[in-house]
Amino acid sequence: MGKFRKTELGETKISTSSLPDIVFLLLFFFMVSATIKTQDELVDYQVPNAEHLTKPEKKFLIKELTVGFPKSDLLGKVPRISDGQRFIQVDDIPQWAAKAREELPENYKDQMIVLLKADLDINMGLVADIQEKLREVNARKILYRSTEEPK
Amino acid sequence: MRIKKRDNNQEVNTGSMADIAFLLLIFFLVATTLKQEKGLNLRLPPKQEEEPINVPMKERNLFKIMINSNQDLLVEGEPRKNLVGLKDEVKLFVLNNGKEKNLSETPKKATVSLKTNRGTKYESFIEVLDELKGAYYEIYAKNIGLTKKEYLKLRHSDPDQYKLYLKSKEGIPMNISIAEPTF
Repeated sequence: MGKFRKTELGETKISTSSLPDIVFLLLFFFMVSATIKTQDELVDYQVPNAEHLTKPEKKFLIKELTVGFPKSDLLGKVPRISDGQRFIQVDDIPQWAAKAREELPENYKDQMIVLLKADLDINMGLVADIQEKLREVNARKILYRSTEEPK
Repeated sequence: MRIKKRDNNQEVNTGSMADIAFLLLIFFLVATTLKQEKGLNLRLPPKQEEEPINVPMKERNLFKIMINSNQDLLVEGEPRKNLVGLKDEVKLFVLNNGKEKNLSETPKKATVSLKTNRGTKYESFIEVLDELKGAYYEIYAKNIGLTKKEYLKLRHSDPDQYKLYLKSKEGIPMNISIAEPTF
């Protein structure tokens, strides 16, 4: 009976020389697709669930308003509006909208979309006030941010 | 004494390159947020400068939904416990084309009105609005023989798909009216 001869193989190594390339690819993807967070959120909010969501084709038209409860307890428990940098009052919204519109390219100025990120627990009164102000300055495209229900 | 010349074939060690790149990658992962922009879209009515001229609207062309501050639902004058069946009713109402006496005359004239109270929770409002949009999307999707999911994935930047999208909505505008809340 023949014996199996153990073939001696030299140690095989997986080449890792392409690893940096892969990682760089990932890196560039994240650099391109992400925006840098400049400041922490001022308000806490949990957006409601919905099923029939749409996604605007032109992302640069989107300007965000956040409505929720202040993160800091010192500021009370009343829902506040934040434009990402600071708290704003309902009366400041026309000014905010005008400023946001300034940033858009000339031929898209009338197509601004206001993305309203509102907490599901706030009252419609506040939402209606915001909408009223947006109507005043003709910023009438509104997108209620909501998430798909987890299955 | 002579110093022996070293080998000139030295290569820079690239083994740590991956580590550097990983470090950068992790930095960007932590420091960035992806923009999330999915949501329910809606177009608000234009601001009226003067008192609106009261154009009487036929009762049959209006599908009224109200939510009060206790999150109770009132659909066409009837109190409801939940949203079951609302979607189908809206579809029937919109696509009635004058058949039933108390439903809409044409899809063009049909308007769904959603009225809230100032104390209504935003969540309940979105829930109902979602149903209404769902009803319209189902109508649109059926018009061009797609499922609702496929319909929502249509890309408007593609001319062919945009044509399909326009075709689906022909003659059926999404008339969802958000009435100003009452106190």
